[in-house]
Amino acid sequence: LPTRPVDRDKAEAELILNIKKATSPEETAPKQKHVRKCIVYTWDYHSSASIWTGLKVQPILADEVQTFKALITVHKILQEGHPVTLKEAQQQVGWFDTCARTVGNDGSKGYGQLIRSYVAFILSKLRFHRHRPEFNGLFEYEEYISLKGIDDPNEGYETISDLMNLQDQIEQLQKLVFAHFRHSANNECRISSLVPLVKESYNIYRFITSMLRAMHRRTNDQEALEPLRSRYNSQHHALRKFYFECSNLKYLTGLINVPKLGTEPPSLFDNGQTPDLP
Amino acid sequence: MSLQHMGKGALRVAKNYTKGYSDVQAKVRDATSNDPWGPSGTQMNEIAQLTYNQNDFVEIMEMLDKRLNDKGKNWRHVFKTLTLLDYCLHAGSENVVIYFRDNVYLVKTLKEFQYIDEDGKDQGANVRQKAKDITNLLQDESRLRQERRSRANMRDRMTKGGSTS
Repeated sequence: LPTRPVDRDKAEAELILNIKKATSPEETAPKQKHVRKCIVYTWDYHSSASIWTGLKVQPILADEVQTFKALITVHKILQEGHPVTLKEAQQQVGWFDTCARTVGNDGSKGYGQLIRSYVAFILSKLRFHRHRPEFNGLFEYEEYISLKGIDDPNEGYETISDLMNLQDQIEQLQKLVFAHFRHSANNECRISSLVPLVKESYNIYRFITSMLRAMHRRTNDQEALEPLRSRYNSQHHALRKFYFECSNLKYLTGLINVPKLGTEPPSLFDNGQTPDLP
Repeated sequence: MSLQHMGKGALRVAKNYTKGYSDVQAKVRDATSNDPWGPSGTQMNEIAQLTYNQNDFVEIMEMLDKRLNDKGKNWRHVFKTLTLLDYCLHAGSENVVIYFRDNVYLVKTLKEFQYIDEDGKDQGANVRQKAKDITNLLQDESRLRQERRSRANMRDRMTKGGSTS
């Protein structure tokens, strides 16, 4: 199947180790080299089955840090893995529910609430992708060739609303992550969960912006789009604040470019010289 | 050249032999070694030309693949392999472009490559930037096509002797 020189038996054995190491009990970020191997595996074999099996044979759920690291790892694999991963993850709702149920109220290290909110977000994300399979796991702009839905205003309206719901959930989750920072300890493990959230929220933002612009171009009824416009504006301000707070986290800015949004939301009306997105 | 690096060079020669790497693979290994310099333009050009031969192409891809998947401590392997890959995408055979478009995730997933050395210096930053640049290039077909064309034109002009055309 893969065009690369690979050895399936070796890959399967290594995958188990990669999962184990990515979800180790140390309170650090899941090591990217192990997460990367998992992502590459799904592209090589067009399958994520062994990843789910691997997650279940590890004693991950006994420890809140391990559970949280597993969720970060899974989120990244959903984002960047082969598209089949998003489909296969639909059958794993039970495993996600178990993650949320296993940790006691707030856990001894304070990950309980974070885990439950992360699970809620991932389940919403999976629902979104089930209804709209044309989006990839990271909502990548470049790869979305046809802006499906804008020909049918109702369909477009609904897609944008759904994207905005997802965006709201990212907002809630990131706020919770910030609220759980501890002054004494280093917060690397918590901060590392913001990496996939920054990427996803920004790509969703870019999508919404260009879809809304296209919708405004196509319709004569600007009034009908007013609710989306005002929601867009408030999401812009919330995101701007989120990215600003992220830009103060050295660990995070060392890993990804945190986007910088303008003070005011960009114009959604096409006046011939629509500015490019940042 | 320090003695330490001489020693490493000799070790690499021995490893090429014991691991049964071909001459072509040894060239790729030399160009993407842990030495703190290079790869040189001459090295990269030679390898890029070799990708036009189907057998050599397969061997080169196999070695690039190995080096790209190397661990953090060997970040120079990864960085120099990306440098060499960038060169080959511009000046090598079309097959290099096809291969890495098929396997773009190998490069794309290096955008979060991490390695902090013993002195606390973030050596991963170079790899991350290069991985970003190459991913963008691979996803922008018209730009890559144009860059390959202008490169070929320049080579033509240089070999034909400059201002005569």
